Amino acid sequence: MQEEQEFIKQLLNTKTQNQAFQRLILDYQRPLYNHIRTIVLNHDDTDDVLQNTFIKIFQHLKNFKGDSKLFSWMYRIATNEALTFLKQKSKISSISSETLQNKTIDNLEADVFFDGNEIQLKLQKAIALLPEKQQLVFKMKYFEELKYETISEILGTSVGGLKASYHIAVKKIEAFVSTN
Amino acid sequence: MKTFKLENEPKIQTGFKIPENYFDDLSIKIMEQLPASEPKVISIFKKRKSLILMAAAILILALMIPILNNLSTTKKELDSTTLENYITYQSNVNQYDLISVLETEDITNMNTSIVLEDQAVEDVLSTNSNLENLILE
Repeated sequence: MQEEQEFIKQLLNTKTQNQAFQRLILDYQRPLYNHIRTIVLNHDDTDDVLQNTFIKIFQHLKNFKGDSKLFSWMYRIATNEALTFLKQKSKISSISSETLQNKTIDNLEADVFFDGNEIQLKLQKAIALLPEKQQLVFKMKYFEELKYETISEILGTSVGGLKASYHIAVKKIEAFVSTN
Repeated sequence: MKTFKLENEPKIQTGFKIPENYFDDLSIKIMEQLPASEPKVISIFKKRKSLILMAAAILILALMIPILNNLSTTKKELDSTTLENYITYQSNVNQYDLISVLETEDITNMNTSIVLEDQAVEDVLSTNSNLENLILE
């Protein structure tokens, strides 16, 4: 934590800012990429959102209060960026976000950057049927293996609520995979 | 198909692949896009803002100079009562000095005004009980 505060100071100091920010990108590009990818699903969109996320992080560094961890703060920005991106995309093609997600999943089969087997594809389809919040919780818990406490900081939901959402999500997914 | 239990299955990965070398130049790409001079831009803007404010303040002061001048000159002007009092009590100007300054027209005007008041003078004299005493003297 002490180290993190030192790092934040470097990020805010105009002299050390660029170097520190470069380090921030190198440290967080992979986890943030994975996080965004689970939400927007294809690589090109993830690339866009990830770059925007880092630019936003840079622009809002001075507003970072330090009351949450840098990590969860950045995750929060990435989540918002990804969800906003999906909303805009569905608006542009004037289809509902559910339809968009189903279309994206259909495209996954042909995606060169997806080499999922049958069960992986089925899992993605099952997730797509969940409400947005349950999707997020499931992806962050199952794929990204984040702790409930961390997810709670990122999404601003109580740990109890998250556990409940996760279990409902698991039940629905199991039901879907069993019957399809 | 048998019931599927997530926890009984080996961990299912997302299946997402990332293009090779994608992360190699990502940080450079992002750094290039950063609004690099943003803090400077803000400071220049702030300086400009203060410059504009300074110019505006100077302009307002400059515009106020004639008004201020007017204020001080009007203050110096004397009102007629003060002037009258001064002439009556403080100066050694006498009747003859005044007459020499007056034009003849002014003097005739003054005379006529006195003539008009004759009736009033008569009234005062007739009601004045001391008049007879004064004549006797």
